Amino acid sequence: MTTGTIEQRVISVVTEVLRVDPAKIMPSSRIKEELGADSLDQVSLIMSLEDEFKGSITDDEAAGLVTVGDAVNFIEKKAELQTA
Amino acid sequence: MSPHRIFITGIGVAAPTAIGTDPFWRACLDGIAAVAPIPAHWFNYHPPSSTLWAPLPDFDYRQYNVNRIERMQIDTATVLGLCACKQALDDAGLITEQKDEKKNTFAVEGIDPARCGVFFGTGMAGIAGFALNQAFHCFSPIKERLGDGSSADSLLRMPARFNPFAVSQIMPNATAASIGIKYSITGPNTTFANACAAGTVAVGNGFRAIRAGRCSMAITGGTEYLGDEFGGVFRGFDIAKTLVRDCVEPEKANRPFDAKRSGFLFAEGGAAVLILESQEHAERRGVKPAAEITAFAESFDAHSLMALDPEAGPIKTMVRSALDEAGLTPDRIDYVNAHATGTQLNDEVEARLIDEIFGKKPAVNATKSLVGHTIGASGAIEAAVTSLSIRDQAVHACKNLETPVRDLNFVTASGPQEIRAALKNSFGFGGHNASLVFTRP
Repeated sequence: MTTGTIEQRVISVVTEVLRVDPAKIMPSSRIKEELGADSLDQVSLIMSLEDEFKGSITDDEAAGLVTVGDAVNFIEKKAELQTA
Repeated sequence: MSPHRIFITGIGVAAPTAIGTDPFWRACLDGIAAVAPIPAHWFNYHPPSSTLWAPLPDFDYRQYNVNRIERMQIDTATVLGLCACKQALDDAGLITEQKDEKKNTFAVEGIDPARCGVFFGTGMAGIAGFALNQAFHCFSPIKERLGDGSSADSLLRMPARFNPFAVSQIMPNATAASIGIKYSITGPNTTFANACAAGTVAVGNGFRAIRAGRCSMAITGGTEYLGDEFGGVFRGFDIAKTLVRDCVEPEKANRPFDAKRSGFLFAEGGAAVLILESQEHAERRGVKPAAEITAFAESFDAHSLMALDPEAGPIKTMVRSALDEAGLTPDRIDYVNAHATGTQLNDEVEARLIDEIFGKKPAVNATKSLVGHTIGASGAIEAAVTSLSIRDQAVHACKNLETPVRDLNFVTASGPQEIRAALKNSFGFGGHNASLVFTRP
């Protein structure tokens, strides 16, 4: 598992799956439109996030993850719920 | 114009005894066998008659051009095939260069990818991945009704999700296709599903494609992964009474050609790849071959889906046809790498036909006595062993052979052996038979 903040780890997974320059990944970056993820990339990204954070993301939840920031917020909220 | 000569120029192996051709071959010559108790949790589903298997060692797939993202998308059978393929390309001195970083694909330098084919065998392809996805599919509503923390969780053993790549993970052609994609190989790409003969048939078809001039090079081999989470595949072979039943002394349970044999040792999985090249192609690259393939023959029993024809008529015809194609009389065969599963009928029939055709001259051994039975990979692993035996002029011993089923020249101690020509036989469920003839180049 990657160490660092949730945001750093999400960016690391996005970089690993999409092979884009991490310097160009912002919280506002739209995964499909700006980072160029096709439908298979999007599925791979969700699987990789599940693997990285050892949790499951439903299809409905995945559909709501439009930007990198959405993914970060979603995972942070899930983590809060788990520790609450 | 004389037909093309076909050389084996690269070998890769992933087997229960070792990952990597050199350690695998050393383990063969040292008589190191793989055997262990089956996973304890399999007993939660069913008490099998056989309790042993040949598990695979842990290995780092990332050494073989497979990344974490790909690992989540492909079945272990394909990981094993890619592992053996990378080794074989390296062994053949073929340099690969990254072509697409995101797709993690490569190009092989110095070859014409359109003149290279992929010929791959498998018995059950992505069945372990299928079992896991099916578990998620069937057990999700059960788990929902039972709620979290149910005592049934340990039985459900559900994966985190239904794999979105389930179809491409399971399909029989996944390994051949993955090799073609990974190394940008655009010639014929075909999968052979002839059960335990699949690997041999795949190597044979690569041989034929080069001999016919359709390819200059072929990536051939076989792969199998049968260690499904629930032991259901094991149960299938166990209930058919094919697996070792005398498991009291695990080290001695797997004993092909021995009077006390009680079935075959189920292997978790394995793979082997042989790079075949036409003589011209190999010489242009300046690569030294391990061995040459000079014939491939097939036959079909038309007898039973699960049992060998005891008369072995089609097998005898096939072996004679292979010898004819190779231009050899039976006395010219110095070594037979037998199918030799360790089942009562198979070993008896095979020993008899070796005796009838070749007599007591050729050295005979059973690679499955060390590795267990890797089904669709077995023919390829044994073709690798036959090639290495010719390269090094040495043979490995038959493990646990104390009272031979017949008076043949069984190898009882590993060591030097002059091999000018060798025969490799495979017989698969369904009735598929295949023979390859190998010679010293």
